[in-house]
Amino acid sequence: MTEVINNEKEKFMGLTHAQVFMYLLMTVISILFLFITNAYLFRMNFADWQSLPMPTLLWFNSGALVLASVGMIWAKQGAKSGNPTNIKIGLVAAGIFGTLFTLGQVTAWQELNAVGYFIASNPANTFFYLITALHVMHVLGGMVAWLRVSFKVFLGSENTATEHTIGLLGIYWHYMLLVWALLFSILLTT
Amino acid sequence: MEQSSAYEGQPLHEPKGWWGRYVFSQDHKVIGLQYTCIALAIGLTGMFLSLLMRMQLGFPGLFESIDAGSYYQDVTMHGMIMVIYLLTALFLGGFGNYLIPLMLGSRDMAFPFVNMLSFWFYLLSVLILVSSFFVESGPTGAGWTLYPPQSILEGTPGADGAGIILMLASLAVFIIAFTMGGLNYITTVLQSRTRGMTLMRMPLIIWCIFLATFLGLLAFPALLVGAIMLIFDRVLETSFFMPEIFKGGEVLDYGGGSPVLFQHLFWFFGHPEVYIIALPAFGIISELISCHARKNIFGYNMMVWALIAIAGIAFIVWAHHMYVAGMNPYLGFFFATTTLIIAIPTAIKVYNWVITLWNANIRMTVPMLYCLAFLITFLIGGLTGLFLGNVAVDVPLSDTYFVVGHFHMVMAVSPVLALYGGLYHWYPSVTGRMLDDRLGKIHFWITFVGTYLIYFPMHYIGFLGVPRRYYSNEQYDFIPQSVNDLNQFITICALIVGAAQFILLYNFVVSIYKGKKAGSNPWGACTLEWQALESPPGHGNWDVQLPVVHRWPYDYGLPGATADFVPQNVADEDIT
Repeated sequence: MTEVINNEKEKFMGLTHAQVFMYLLMTVISILFLFITNAYLFRMNFADWQSLPMPTLLWFNSGALVLASVGMIWAKQGAKSGNPTNIKIGLVAAGIFGTLFTLGQVTAWQELNAVGYFIASNPANTFFYLITALHVMHVLGGMVAWLRVSFKVFLGSENTATEHTIGLLGIYWHYMLLVWALLFSILLTT
Repeated sequence: MEQSSAYEGQPLHEPKGWWGRYVFSQDHKVIGLQYTCIALAIGLTGMFLSLLMRMQLGFPGLFESIDAGSYYQDVTMHGMIMVIYLLTALFLGGFGNYLIPLMLGSRDMAFPFVNMLSFWFYLLSVLILVSSFFVESGPTGAGWTLYPPQSILEGTPGADGAGIILMLASLAVFIIAFTMGGLNYITTVLQSRTRGMTLMRMPLIIWCIFLATFLGLLAFPALLVGAIMLIFDRVLETSFFMPEIFKGGEVLDYGGGSPVLFQHLFWFFGHPEVYIIALPAFGIISELISCHARKNIFGYNMMVWALIAIAGIAFIVWAHHMYVAGMNPYLGFFFATTTLIIAIPTAIKVYNWVITLWNANIRMTVPMLYCLAFLITFLIGGLTGLFLGNVAVDVPLSDTYFVVGHFHMVMAVSPVLALYGGLYHWYPSVTGRMLDDRLGKIHFWITFVGTYLIYFPMHYIGFLGVPRRYYSNEQYDFIPQSVNDLNQFITICALIVGAAQFILLYNFVVSIYKGKKAGSNPWGACTLEWQALESPPGHGNWDVQLPVVHRWPYDYGLPGATADFVPQNVADEDIT
């Protein structure tokens, strides 16, 4: 059976497989962060809670994540207009700023640790480390997907799926930015 | 869209060599079988642990190796293995993988590679779980709910060693495996239905697996968060869940945390988990009852909406597991009400099954026996649930053997009966041969009658106030001798039922070689998995063309047709 006909399918709202998968995945990740923030808001009402100062570095990291998203938009536009150079510029920018964000977060942890905000010394600290680490892990997942797509773009030949794939990757990165924006605002205001 | 259809119309991934075909397979049928075999193997381990517990309860002190610590370890691992690693994995990973693409007229899952990864992560989680038996101080003995603070404090078996960490790590890996599988099942159901297979023409079991997967995807993150936070508390000595604790006059490093927070996270997962197990069981029963009674299922639309209602309400009942943890009475009233409301859609389903049987041409095959047994057992288990759902009745019965009897009836025996019915029903599709009918009936009657002899008396023991989870009942004045006699009786029954499961195992193995040839559609079923070109279906499931669906999956006894069933892929003009 080498040749098979696969295109007679009932589709859900005209979406592709990968789109459905991605939207579902983002739903599941949202639930995960919903639970952790819920637990955070629950736990902070207890007497021993002492908020910790947010390192200024986090603002720069947030900026890096915004620029990574801009890179993905750039790449998407390149794919849309059939301009491979723009795809590459956009992907490289997204990769660099994504990496900067990750390194920046690690540095922020080290800064806090250095001035005595240890993970176990207060529940506010623990939550800070846990929430930011969970987010970084999901960003790293995005980096793995970014690596895959970049390999395809830089080493592979023309691929009809490029726009589709880059679009989806971009959605995940924007989503990571959105999650970070929400988490950061909760961390800042509580 | 043109781009995407070119993207998705890629030729099927052909397996390479023996390893690619049977070990690192991306074929949903092989992955389903791999899930089934591993789940049954670990399930047998879970059963063995339960027999050890029964030996201690029936004949205290007979085995010197069973002390209080190992008893708690057996209790914990038995519960966790049965709920998560056997039933969840077997229903969704086993039945889900095997049936979804076949029943929807698809060639495979939407993402075969992710599907394969899902199985290997599951296997890894099982191995991590099993490894905890071999570490110093053994697996955790905290009870399957793993409530802190006791689950991570010295004195609880496995808490000072690696036991509890391995348990939590195994759960985290299982959740990753489940998420990969679950995203696949939902994408496949939404995207890979063949032409004509509308959502309201899907077999009910696919609806059930679909909704159970949704429940899992939304509920497991709560457990994951709880598990990660508990690992933090154990390893880094943080205080998410740990209150101030005095031990031997000394203050521990913990302080300020809330054990009830863990209970909320756990049961927000834990209650939907009941339905993650129950819904696929409902699905199997719906398929089997219609097929073996040769009658269309009563109220298909109602069944689907009842399932959706159950899945929705399943998320707002969780705190009925926590009545005795201390709760605002209004909150208790809310959760008691939602708990009772969920009985309505569940009752709709039971009524519809019974009405399906009404005036039907019932064939007393082994799968049908299991269906009937399921109906009775589920009803009884459900009715005792009404007792426990009410706060005022639950408080005195909580943590007694009444609870053990209730939940074993409703979420252990019932799903296992459905599971066995499903195994007998679909075995011919997998192997091309029938299971031995006589052995099947012997196995059925011993299992069915035996489980009643095991769990019915527990309700009475519970009414007497005998607490569950106690290692020994010997030194308590309020426990009469009759309880010990009853415990002996239960243990003997449990040993017999345990031994009887090897009949099934024997039947499974021998029938692969010596079973009666099944032909392509031995039960005369309408659903697509029996209409494949080859039997058992080959890689890719279908011929060059996918089947086209013309009707719903329960056209039994259609007027004007000579056969008493019309498969889904037969058009009106082709009916003879």
